[in-house]
Amino acid sequence: MSAAPSLEAITASKAYGGVQALDNASFSALPGEVHALVGENGAGKSTLIKVLGGRVRPDSGTIRIDGAKVVHGGPNDAHLLGCWTVFQELTLLPWMSVAENLLLRREPRNALGLTSPRRLVAAAGRVLEKFGITEIDPRALIEDLPLAARQVIEIVRALSHEPRILLLDEPTSALMERETAWLFAQIRRLRATGTTIVFTSHRWHEVETIADRITVFRGGRDVGSFTTLAEEEAVTLMTGQRVETFYPPLPAAPSARADAMLSVADLAGGRLAGVSFTLHQGEILGVGGLAGHGHRELFLMLFGAERPHAGRILLRGREVRLRSPRGAIRNGIALVPEDRKTEGLLLPLSVRDNLTLAVLDRLSRFGVIGRAAERAQAARLMARLAVRAPNAAIPVGTLSGGNQQKVLLGRWLLADCPILLFYDVTRGVDVATKHEIYELMMELARSGSAILFYSSDALELAHLAHRVLVLREGRIAAELPALDLTAEQIVAAAMRERLAA
Amino acid sequence: MPPRAARRSLLAHAIARNIGLVLVIFLLVFSIFLYGLIYGLTEGRLPGGFELTSTVNNTMPLVLAAMAQTLVVLTRGLDLSVGGVVDLANALGAISLGATPARMALASAFILLAGAGLGLVNGILVAYGRLQPILVTLATLSIYQGLAIRILPQPGGAVPEGYTALLTNPSVPAALLYVVLLGLFWTAFRRSQAGIAIIAIGNDEGAAAANGINPLRAKLLAYTLSGFFAAAAGLFLVATATAGDATTGNGYTLTSIVAVVLGGVSLFGGRGSAIGAMLGAFVTTMIVNILFFAHIDPLYQSFYEGAFLVIAVVLAEGLGRFVRKRR
Amino acid sequence: MRGAGSLDETWRRALYAFAAAVLLFALGAVVRPGFVRPDSILAVLTVAVFVGLVAAGQTFVILIGGIDLSVPWVLNAAAILLATSSGGSDARAFSALLLTLGMGAAVGAVNGLGIAFLGVPAVVMTLAMNGIMEGLTLGLSGGMTCASCASYAPPAIQALAHGVFLFLPTALWLWLAVIAIVSFILGATVFGRATYAIGTNLRASELAGLRVRATIIGLYALSGLAAALAGIMLVGFGGQASLGMGEPFLFQSIAAVVIGGASILGGRGHYLGSVAGAICLVALISVLLAMNMAEYGRSIIYGVIILVLLLLYGRESRES
Ligand SMILES: Nc1ncnc2c1ncn2[C@@H]1O[C@H](COP(=O)(O)OP(=O)(O)OP(=O)(O)O)[C@@H](O)[C@H]1O
Ligand SMILES: [Mg+2]
Repeated sequence: MSAAPSLEAITASKAYGGVQALDNASFSALPGEVHALVGENGAGKSTLIKVLGGRVRPDSGTIRIDGAKVVHGGPNDAHLLGCWTVFQELTLLPWMSVAENLLLRREPRNALGLTSPRRLVAAAGRVLEKFGITEIDPRALIEDLPLAARQVIEIVRALSHEPRILLLDEPTSALMERETAWLFAQIRRLRATGTTIVFTSHRWHEVETIADRITVFRGGRDVGSFTTLAEEEAVTLMTGQRVETFYPPLPAAPSARADAMLSVADLAGGRLAGVSFTLHQGEILGVGGLAGHGHRELFLMLFGAERPHAGRILLRGREVRLRSPRGAIRNGIALVPEDRKTEGLLLPLSVRDNLTLAVLDRLSRFGVIGRAAERAQAARLMARLAVRAPNAAIPVGTLSGGNQQKVLLGRWLLADCPILLFYDVTRGVDVATKHEIYELMMELARSGSAILFYSSDALELAHLAHRVLVLREGRIAAELPALDLTAEQIVAAAMRERLAA
Repeated sequence: MPPRAARRSLLAHAIARNIGLVLVIFLLVFSIFLYGLIYGLTEGRLPGGFELTSTVNNTMPLVLAAMAQTLVVLTRGLDLSVGGVVDLANALGAISLGATPARMALASAFILLAGAGLGLVNGILVAYGRLQPILVTLATLSIYQGLAIRILPQPGGAVPEGYTALLTNPSVPAALLYVVLLGLFWTAFRRSQAGIAIIAIGNDEGAAAANGINPLRAKLLAYTLSGFFAAAAGLFLVATATAGDATTGNGYTLTSIVAVVLGGVSLFGGRGSAIGAMLGAFVTTMIVNILFFAHIDPLYQSFYEGAFLVIAVVLAEGLGRFVRKRR
Repeated sequence: MRGAGSLDETWRRALYAFAAAVLLFALGAVVRPGFVRPDSILAVLTVAVFVGLVAAGQTFVILIGGIDLSVPWVLNAAAILLATSSGGSDARAFSALLLTLGMGAAVGAVNGLGIAFLGVPAVVMTLAMNGIMEGLTLGLSGGMTCASCASYAPPAIQALAHGVFLFLPTALWLWLAVIAIVSFILGATVFGRATYAIGTNLRASELAGLRVRATIIGLYALSGLAAALAGIMLVGFGGQASLGMGEPFLFQSIAAVVIGGASILGGRGHYLGSVAGAICLVALISVLLAMNMAEYGRSIIYGVIILVLLLLYGRESRES
């Protein structure tokens, strides 16, 4: 190695309460290098990135930029050195417009130091255009945008500062292939100009595609840097044990005469413009397509959390009206929602409370919760799903992302719902836990549950679903059978219109 | 020239973004209409210049208190000490405003500064003390009220006529000028770095900090300005009366919150405009006026005010939902 | 995000509030030697019952990040309704009691309906309800000029407020019962679990299948009920109802809840903490009265001490 590192962390440590998020971790990246940071949930990747980006002050250790020691007093100090970050938990302001967010603190100003909305929108439009983003309106409020679009805005904002050092923390977790390809093109362009890029992802194929060097983290420590690394080896390093990384075999597809568990006819509302399909017993029905084309509405409507404008929902051939999530659950439907931290779990409450939330009625008599039964049920589920937690009374927010997701899945296993709606259940979940979730899905399908499965990762859909429905502009654009299905086919179906146009 | 559809969506965007403002204008127009109707029916003529002047003058303290409250609510806080600062300014005004213009100007400037200082105290406790705003201002409300009573134990003092003529002229609606100035101030402030910072921390403090905004500084500014405007409300209040009273300001804590809510400012921070809150203040006054001219039993006045408030908020909420759906 | 052990932290804050109450009694002893005699302690505790009862309701709604500003006039209306409907006779005491408690719960439920179904912010809904109850009380009683308005509370109710049973004032026994019931509801029932869940994250609670709206309505109904109970005890204590008797209880009940360690944003807190907060506040007021301090001085010191208490243990943990 000839070039001097442009970014280094030397024996950095950071503790949150009792959790040692970073434990004497070291890291260095070269100019013109795309450096992937990989590790399990809770390995300390985000903490390292926050430390490098000036968001968090380390308890001890040194940061060097271009060989010179720096002490970040805040993100501004990092920005001044040309170091910009895309954080895993997005930092957009929800009730402000895309333009206001993109140009925050560098709005075009007049002589009095005041900005004008018109000039702001125009300037933001130019920024978006420069990076090839045409379908996002700079006047739209962030809150009205789908997660993928927000992620793109967050990335564009960092890119527009022409960073010399760019830190990307799971930038692709909500992106579909096409947006990921866009991001990679941007990364390659910056790499060519000598920018240092640090990148984290739980999708190994992305790491393989873009990374020049890979550093593995485990338990807050770096356990090695490599220029080439096979997935098997990487996972072994990340987890400290051997883990299968291929997709588990799909159980045989249910025959066409299998019981129809859930049928939908001409369902419409919001971005959903009328879809019909049937979900059979023992089937995993994939749903793919670009975010913002009605997926979210579909899942929420099937769970009674949003009202359809038109269409019918049939459970085992009987028409039902789902007025609330409570009603849906009573009908045997469960939803793992898009964002486990704001829609799924109650982070400060205990693991046990979170597990039993949906079955309290069953565990109680005259409204009084049966403590012993509750403990027993929670313990059973924690054992079944191998939830790694010191005990059941600890706040679920202190668990790693993968274990949080397992708790959420456990809640619905407890509730015994035969129809499972999984909305991107593996988003932000590490490889080892992902694999456990895949196994669980297969087991559920074998035992007769029906699973509707949306994923932003087309590869996952191609391997884990019996068929895949591709939604485009609120309609089913294609129904692809599982046999020899590839991720490329799903992506192509999602975009056919656009390509033709 | 943008195409027709684009222009329409521009308007739709503007309405959607300022839905709170649109609704409060609707409420104001509606209440003015109702007022005119009831006034006409009971008095046999339409309200004129005198009614306009007295309405504006009577609303001025609330307009300023609403401005004060908006600044804090936008940061995701709540300022219960507004009433205390109004009281304190009122009491200080009653004892210190002299007869000469210079004396009046000096005393007013001092009182406004004192108000800003009290606001700053709130801000420091919230920002550096990391205490919930509602609790801090609950405690300082008690302190500021105590100070006000200490300064002016009994209603009294004298308010020079010149001062009244300047702030709340009883014969011409000159105070409208202040309303316009406040509107201009807000428009500029909303577009300044400081204003954007205040709204940003109300959106999401952590995200704003990650973008390099200093949340502590933004909060200090919001609370300081809040104290300043609350003191101004106290000065206008004393100007409309002939003497000071250290307790008449108490009500402004809650009515300023009502004005802010009617004005479409979100109590969860980050959304809304002080112009809406000022219009909300006028809606509040109009409700009182309507009840007065409807000759309802004064004993039932609070009942109607409460009922009106709920109905207005429910109506606004429903209309807002309707517009959002149509978009 | 709150760090590990946030629940224990809530209990710790409740404990601090008790410690602060003890400290205030000690301060009282310094100011005035007679302050810590058993009978005067019991007197302070008895006065704390009224704040404590209102704070029970306030705890319920603050736990979901709400607030009940309608307390003053629900309490006042309850006091007047009890006196007028019983006409001061024991024979009608029981039906008057039920009527009054029912009125409180019903008004609270209407608050809950407006908040849960019409989407009115809690601050606005309960503030408006306070006005509505004020107007109704004043109007229907003709400004306390009605014939039955001067009625005394039935002797049985007065006995409840003043009596002694097993060495303790009956009012304190009542409070102990309320403490037990409220703590049980919050700690052991589905309703209590739902309350904490909703206060933590309403959307996630809904998606977990909890009865969010019904719980909200129930909580506000309980708050109305608690305020009515406080009104009944207060009219029993003072004999007659008067206008404005509820005003001091609004800010005091809120202050008691937060001094007791609950988060005003919801999801965190215990009624025992609010109990400690109520005792704290009443002890403080008693000490200040014992010092013969002028009203303005009391007001200032009251605010300063609340701030000091909050700064000592009420600070939010720093982000990140
Ligand atoms: N603000 C915080 N408060 C408390 N604990 C925290 C906080 N942030 C991180 N942690 C803890 O520190 C550890 C490391 O977290 P970090 O976010 O760095 O992991 P990560 O490698 O980025 O995981 P993921 O792949 O899930 O994003 C975890 O155990 C996490 O629970
Ligand atoms: Mg991370």
